[in-house]
Formats: sequence, structure tokens, C-alpha cells
Amino acid sequence: MAKSKPSKKTTGTPPPLEIPEPKFNWMNQSRQWGTRVSPGKSGLTLDSLNVGIYGEVPPRWTDQGRNPRGAIPVKGALPIGYSVTEKIGLWAPMAAELYEEAIQRRWAPATDVPWASIQALPDDVETAICQVCTEIAQYANVDIEVLTNWQHRMSYGYHEVKQFLATASLDAARRYEAFRKRALTNGGGLGLEPMDQVNRFLLESRGGWTETVAGIALVRGLFLSTMCEYLFRHSYNDAERAIYSYVIQDVSRLIAYGVDHLRYCMARDDEKTSTVATMIAIGLGLMARDLRDPVLREALAIVFGGGIAGARREGMSVFLDFLEDFRERHVALRRWLNLPGDAMSMPRAFRPREPRQAR
Amino acid sequence: MTTPAADENLPELDLSWMNRRGPWDTHAKPGKYGLTLADIQVGEYGETPQQSQNLTGRSRGSPPRRAAMRIGGYTVRTKSDIWVENASFLYEEALQRQWSSATDVPWETIKPLPDDVEQAQCQLATFLTEVEFVAGDVPARWISVTTPDYFEARQVLLAQVMDESRHMDVFRKRALANGGGLMKATGATAGFVGGIDLSRDFTEMSSRLHISGEGAVLTIFRMGELMAYNDAEKAIYRLCAQDEARHVAFGVMHLRYMSQKAPERREEIDTYLDEAEGGMLTDAANPAGRLTQTSESLCILLGGGRDKFDEGFRKIVAIRRRQLQEYKKRVISAGFGERFENGRSRLNELMAQTAA
Ligand SMILES: [Fe+2]
Ligand SMILES: [Fe+2]
Repeated sequence: MAKSKPSKKTTGTPPPLEIPEPKFNWMNQSRQWGTRVSPGKSGLTLDSLNVGIYGEVPPRWTDQGRNPRGAIPVKGALPIGYSVTEKIGLWAPMAAELYEEAIQRRWAPATDVPWASIQALPDDVETAICQVCTEIAQYANVDIEVLTNWQHRMSYGYHEVKQFLATASLDAARRYEAFRKRALTNGGGLGLEPMDQVNRFLLESRGGWTETVAGIALVRGLFLSTMCEYLFRHSYNDAERAIYSYVIQDVSRLIAYGVDHLRYCMARDDEKTSTVATMIAIGLGLMARDLRDPVLREALAIVFGGGIAGARREGMSVFLDFLEDFRERHVALRRWLNLPGDAMSMPRAFRPREPRQAR
Repeated sequence: MTTPAADENLPELDLSWMNRRGPWDTHAKPGKYGLTLADIQVGEYGETPQQSQNLTGRSRGSPPRRAAMRIGGYTVRTKSDIWVENASFLYEEALQRQWSSATDVPWETIKPLPDDVEQAQCQLATFLTEVEFVAGDVPARWISVTTPDYFEARQVLLAQVMDESRHMDVFRKRALANGGGLMKATGATAGFVGGIDLSRDFTEMSSRLHISGEGAVLTIFRMGELMAYNDAEKAIYRLCAQDEARHVAFGVMHLRYMSQKAPERREEIDTYLDEAEGGMLTDAANPAGRLTQTSESLCILLGGGRDKFDEGFRKIVAIRRRQLQEYKKRVISAGFGERFENGRSRLNELMAQTAA
């Protein structure tokens, strides 16, 4: 500290305060002064801040600390150890927009779901719904673990993506909670533990975020959002309808980030197209294996068919429609992303159904 | 569960899974705050094991499948390592109080400020943008390795990650909204020994992050009225203070639980608190600490200009005292008050140094 000067005498007993001479050596240091971003019709959004140098997102972020993009970096700080340091490895042009959208569309399972609308259901239907809730809660658990495991490894310079992922992991927390709540509120309970290879596949995708995104968005995310649409159409009360529609919104944002990132990345690196295609092929193969397990398939058929009696005819048929819808959406996104492969290259479980033989 | 009469033209159903359900006949009912996490802690579903044997990631209460693979890989599997009582309250409040930095801050109330004040505001905002997400990055990493058997605590941390994301962006927004810009980073959260990032134990991390780090910032946010120049800044500090209060409460409640359930760790915790106290006034992570960049900008904001630095300095001394007093209250509340009686704590010594 530089020389000190005594302060003017204040009141009472405490000794006079020694006030240090200020240095002010931090003043007038900015890489870009004179920035004035005004709020637009959606308020002051994250994306709107990207003006001048503040909007320059470099292809590689070498800073290993938390230097905010556009600030004057500090020298000599010990590294924190970020591992996703290239823009191509995580960037999605829409991330900032999706972040603000997530915040605007926030919801709370405790109070935004009309729980009182749930009335007692036949035991077979309740059992099936509870099993479906158990499976989706497990999906959400995997999303939580996967997203949070990657988020902290991403460089600070790409804060828009880190911030979007914060919304995505809270979304997953809400899914986990909402489906558990549904299972425990209507005379049922949780169902059998799922044994799911896609869960394993997502948790073990440690090598690259882009590949993980391919699994999260085009395999699991799309499967879950399509499933929730079918569950919505075959729901039994307003509470379930509310949960499914909120979840569809939330998962759609995750898919949107994924597709946006994959498009950004594959447009700049040809190699990625083949690793992403391989990743998706593995994911779909595992999903087809999972679907051979009767638990989720039959639980959905019972929900769609209104009970065990309707499950074998109507329920299973709706279940197959659901798989077809998933396939078509998946193929449409692949096409949009210029990823090789069509419906016939997918595992048998997802191929178009043979026309029914006349009896 | 019985299968209806066979129809050979239709696929057979297995249905054996229908008899392998978790505890049944569960009727969680919504209370006056809706259907909260506390409301679904019913029967066996509310029972949390002291040691989690859940290696497959199944939901607590769901009957396990013996063939399931151990894909969990959790390192946090001891309840006292992460648990808080009343997580439901913190989590549900967090969801109810989520806010938007885009639309809940009256940005239009920000008017041009004298250059010294704007610079001070922008320097403080740069610092806060820099440090806010340590509290996002680090809890996220712990969330990813915590067994879902303790999901209630995990939910609170997930809400914290989201809160911090908003804090990081609201201060970036403030820096770029009024003719200023970002200024100089501080490196306050770099990877040093005992740092929040590097802690290899959750409670160590939490004592550093929640109790001392966020505690110090909370005191400042709560005094935001003193350094705000418009309604937008007042709103920012008020909303951030609300969030920080929950984060700090998590840390206090966790320490309290730990001190009751794992008394063998009390001395170790005291060591973390020694360390925290040692850095309280000197750490760059405390904006009212001794780092020139942040403390001088605070003095300008509190005093009302560069020429009123002295007045600002008096206020910053008051803030430091309040930080120490609030820290003491939290530590007492967490069950570690003894250290203030038995001479272990350096707090009195620190009180005398607040004016340095
Ligand atoms: Fe914060
Ligand atoms: Fe915080």
C-alpha cells in the first residue's frame, strides 16, 4: 500500500481510520469501451451482447482460466484445466437464443402441474404409467450426469454454450422430479429398474462432446420427445398432459442445440460426419436391443391401449406407430444434416412395417 | 396381474414385470406449495441410505434388476458427504424464484453515469462475470458423480448451476449496457491449492464455495442499495442476493448435517474453516478484499465517485466487518461455534485488520 493519510475525525472511541492511498491503476483499461447494448423486444438478451470484440468467438480458446470473453486477460494465473477448448467442439450459433428461451419457458413441477386432476386409474394402467415414469426418470438421470460431466470441461470463452447447458441440466432435473412425482401420487409407486444400453452408451461417451451430442439429440432426445407426444395423445388427465407438454418443449431445445451444433461442426470438419454417423448407428443398434426387452414396450402398449386388454391390439399398434414416427423424424434430421443413411439402413426395429397380409 | 384370454392372432405379452414393482399404494398429496419434493418423501421412497449401494443409477425405491450393469460409477456414496436436511425447501424455492436477466431487470432505468463510476461498475461486473461460474462449473462436476440416491441434494445443486449461469450473464449484460465495457480479469478463481476448483472432497469444496466465498459475496449483494445507481442495478443485486442466500444456506445446512452425523470429521472441517478465515480479507475472490482492482472499484461505487474514495473506503470497512460477522453466525449455525470460544478462530484478529 502506498502512503496513508488519516481520515477526518468521526465519532466516539474507535481509533481514526487509516485510509490507504488508492492506486486506480486498473482504470482506463478496456479492450473496447463505449459499448451500449439496448434491450430489444425480448429484453436484454445474451445474444444481443455480441457486439464488436465481445461477439468475436475465436476458433480456439487458449485461456485456461475464467477470463470473460472480451475482458483483458490476467497473466500468470494457474490453469483450471478445461479440455473442450475448440469452438468446433461445442459451438451452436443458436445457443444464446435457446438459453433465453429456456428461461422464459421455465416451469415448476410442484405448482405448474394440476396434480389434483389425477384420479384413480385401473391398476394395470397405473402400473404401466408408473413403469413409464420410472424409465423416463432414469433417462433424465442420465441426462443430468452426462450434461454436468461435460459442462465444467468447456472453456469459458464459449460461455453461451455453458449457459445453455445449465438450463438443459435444470430441465433434466425437472424431468427427473416430475416423473417421480407422478409415479408416487396416484396409488402406485416406482416400477422396475430399467436396464438400458442407451443409458450406458450416453454415460460412456466420454471421448468427444460432439459424439455425445449426437447420442443425446438424435437418438435419445428424439426418441423421448416422440414418446412424450404419444403419451400426451394417450394421457389420462390434465396433470399428465401438462408434464408431457412441458417436457416436449424442454427436450426440443436440447435437440435444437444438438442439431445446431452438429451442423456447425460437420460443416467445418468432414471427419466428424463419419464419427457422428458411427455414433448414431451404435446408438440406434443399442436402442433396438433395448426395445427387445418387454418392459417399456409393454408398459407403453398398456398406456396406449387403455389397459392390458387393449394393449395387444390397439396398444401395440400405437407403439409401432410411435417407432415409425421416431424413425421418420430421425431420418428427416439426418437428411437435413447431410448425414448418410436412410430408413432401410436403420436396425430392423425401426424399418418400415411390411403391409399387413390379408387373411 | 392376470393376462386376458389368449388370441392367437395377437402378440403375446410377457407382463411379468408388472409384479416387480416398488412399494405400492403410494399417495403423495400436494400441500399449499404444490406437490413438493418433501411431499413425495413418503414411505420407503423417503428413506435415504447412509451408504448408497446403488451402482446402476436406478431411482431410489425402484426394485433393482440383478442383471443390471454398474454404469453409475459414483464417487459420492456416503450420505453425510453431501446431504442437507430440507433440500426440498431450497430446491422448490429456487424453482419458484427463477428470474430472467433479460426481462426482470429494468434495463431502461440505466442512464449515463460519470466515467469514473461507470468504470468502477464495469470493473466490478467484469470480476463478477469472471467468478460467478466457478459456482456453476464446480457443483456440476460433483453432481455428475453423486449417486441418485441423494437426488434431493443434487436437485439443489442443479438449481445453483442455473442460478450461477444467470449471474454470469447479468453482470456481463450490465458491463455492456451503459457505454462501458468489460475491463480487466483478476484470475481470482485460478487453480491454487485449497481452491474451490481443486478440492477433492465435496465438504471441503462446499466450505470454501458456499460458506466463505459465496457468503462474502452475499453480504455485498445484500448491501447493493449502497452501490446501485439505478433501479436496474438494485434489481440485479436484490435478485442475486436471493439466489446466493440459498447457496449459502445449502453450505450451512450441509455442514450442520455433517457435524452431527460424522463427528469424526469435525476437526478436518475446522481445518478448512481455518483456511477460509485466513483468506477472508486477502483472497481475490472477495471483492471487498484487498485486491486493488475490485476493492477500489467498490470504494468508488460506495463513495459516489473517485473523489469520494475516502467515504467509500469507510463503507468497505463496514462491509468487511459485516462479512466477518455474518460468517461467524453461519459457522455457529452450522455447529462449529466452539472455534470462536476456544481460541481457534482468527476472527477477532481479522476484525482488527478490516481497515488495512
Ligand atoms: Fe452467484
Ligand atoms: Fe452462488
